[in-house]
Amino acid sequence: MDNGWNIVVCVKQVPDADDVSIDPDTGRLNRSDAEAVLNSPDYNAIEAALSLREAGGGTVTALTMGPPTAGEVLQVAVGMGADDGVLLTDRAFGGSDTWPTSLALARAAEELDADVVLGGEETTDSSTGQVPPGIAAHNGWAQLTYVEELEARPEEDRLVARRDVEGGYERVAAELPVVVAMGFGENTPRTADLHRKIYAETEFEPTEWDASDLGVEDEVGMAASPTQVGGMATADPVPREQSMVDSADELAEKIGEVR
Amino acid sequence: MTATPNYDDEFDAIVVGAGLSGTAAALTMAKDGLDVVMLERGPSPGSKNVFGGVLYTPRIRELTDLSDAPKERYVAKKTYSMLSDAGDETSMSIAPAAWREEPHNDSWMVLRRDFDEWFADQAVEAGATLITETTVTDLIREDGTVVGVETDRPNGTLRAPVVVLGEGANSLVSEGAGLKRQDDRDNVAVSAKEVRKYDREKLEDRFHLDGEAGLAAHYFGDGAVGDAVGGAFLYTNKRTVSIGVVYSIEDAAHGERTPDEVLDQFKQHPAVAPLVRGGRMVEYSAHAIPEGGPDSMPDLVHDGAVIVGDAAGLVLNSGIHLEGTNMAVESGFHAGQAIADALDRGRSDAAALESYEQRLEESYVVQNLDHYGWFMDTAAEEKEFLFEELPHALGDATEEYFRMDDRPKDEHVSDAKSHILNASGGWFGMAKKAWKFRKMLS
Repeated sequence: MDNGWNIVVCVKQVPDADDVSIDPDTGRLNRSDAEAVLNSPDYNAIEAALSLREAGGGTVTALTMGPPTAGEVLQVAVGMGADDGVLLTDRAFGGSDTWPTSLALARAAEELDADVVLGGEETTDSSTGQVPPGIAAHNGWAQLTYVEELEARPEEDRLVARRDVEGGYERVAAELPVVVAMGFGENTPRTADLHRKIYAETEFEPTEWDASDLGVEDEVGMAASPTQVGGMATADPVPREQSMVDSADELAEKIGEVR
Repeated sequence: MTATPNYDDEFDAIVVGAGLSGTAAALTMAKDGLDVVMLERGPSPGSKNVFGGVLYTPRIRELTDLSDAPKERYVAKKTYSMLSDAGDETSMSIAPAAWREEPHNDSWMVLRRDFDEWFADQAVEAGATLITETTVTDLIREDGTVVGVETDRPNGTLRAPVVVLGEGANSLVSEGAGLKRQDDRDNVAVSAKEVRKYDREKLEDRFHLDGEAGLAAHYFGDGAVGDAVGGAFLYTNKRTVSIGVVYSIEDAAHGERTPDEVLDQFKQHPAVAPLVRGGRMVEYSAHAIPEGGPDSMPDLVHDGAVIVGDAAGLVLNSGIHLEGTNMAVESGFHAGQAIADALDRGRSDAAALESYEQRLEESYVVQNLDHYGWFMDTAAEEKEFLFEELPHALGDATEEYFRMDDRPKDEHVSDAKSHILNASGGWFGMAKKAWKFRKMLS
């Protein structure tokens, strides 16, 4: 492909984890005070997408699914340098778990003729890590998960990844199209350029698609979601012993005792 | 990448800081049809702001519909208490019936995190642009004229005909660009404040509040802030109570205790402890307050720039009146109008913007600052009397006045008088002090 890759980066709007608290009286998750922000691992995915474009040309399109206000996370991506953004929004998507969500994203990635689809390794509000592999599975594409670093090989139509595996790392090459789940904190996301940020937040308008645009209107939503929540329980914090010591020697001694 | 437009001179004005003064300026200009961009360093307006807790709203109510604003409670009652470090409390309580009626004397307890965000939204709805997480680091000047700002972002300069500096008490940009000199240390107060959360019903029972009614309590004397010029406060919000101390940074620098220790001490005073017992601390903050009065106000108008709010030193402390946020809004409003007038004539030089300073001088803001400018100096001069001797004498005098024993009441009255007279330096000393502080109530 001469014009470079079509790079799609999936992003999600989540409640700011710093503001989500557990009400000590009721044990319930309190999200009401939390600002809606971009899922933090997605910053790493956007940075990786922009770096791929810098290495091999092409375009970066940010893709998200959510209510109309989720367009804000597309503004973040466009501010950082994404070329365009697509918002999948439809009441029909409401209540979707990772299965229909990754189906809708997979159809959208096909529609965008994606060569590479990137996402953060997981979201801070559900932590399943299932969506990037789900996209790959729905489309029958290759997948690279827990990626630390990417190397574009456009001349071979391949993407090489360094993956985090237990006890070390491995390097894997995948044929396009490929879905990548970027590890959290593996790169340093760039700061948006001031004028680009103003453009993203004032003039940029995302493309909006609904479930029927993707032909998935009967395959999404609560009814199409196999996940069943069996119950919730809160764990009590483990009591930790504390003591003050007066000197480093005494501290070393204490540590010795524990070992 | 899809093309990025260049926004240099696309906006009529850049507002540095989306706090109350900056937002008031932006809202005023946007309503006048100007294109304004607000650059805010926090993740949302208000997230970096700290104040005691009462916002006076006459101008805001004129600028926008206040009914949907996130207000906590209106001030239904004000108390002023002298606290001695021996545990005495002598207080006065004011609760005019009129305060319970709309518009509640335009006095509302608010939480800045909520209120400032809402207020900035009003400016955005009127057409202004809000850009957050962007810190202005310097001004761009050409031949002495301010022509734009520099930010901490890549490609981070932005030019516009006028820059409004509403950056707050710690005005590093204005100072760095030579538009104002750093405040003298003795013109700055330091504040430590915490917000405690309670069950709403419990809070209303404890402070005898119903509906949206609230209490604004002010404390003076060495039982409030120890051996320092200053005071303490307690404001009731819907489900939280804001408690804080404010005193001169000079005293904080020389004092033996840190501001958080002074706050802890205040919370332990027998008059205060039962009011703040229990609950859960949900916020802790410290802040600088410019209290230099009219003499320390910088030049507010420059070629291509104006200074508003705390950055302009617009805070009033008369002992009775503690104001700042209303003056910030007022200054932003007058600045916005002056800028609109100047740009209408195609100008942004200091002479064209001068009407901002004139409007402010004619407004209550500078009038009040001039009227009460003497207070902070006099309070510092009379520190020992005001903050130590008087609270103790009042405690002793009232104890004597109401004492139940086998002596006749006129003896108690006479003893009570002598406590006050002793503290004041006799009849002559008292007359002198009365003369000195005569303007406090005028």
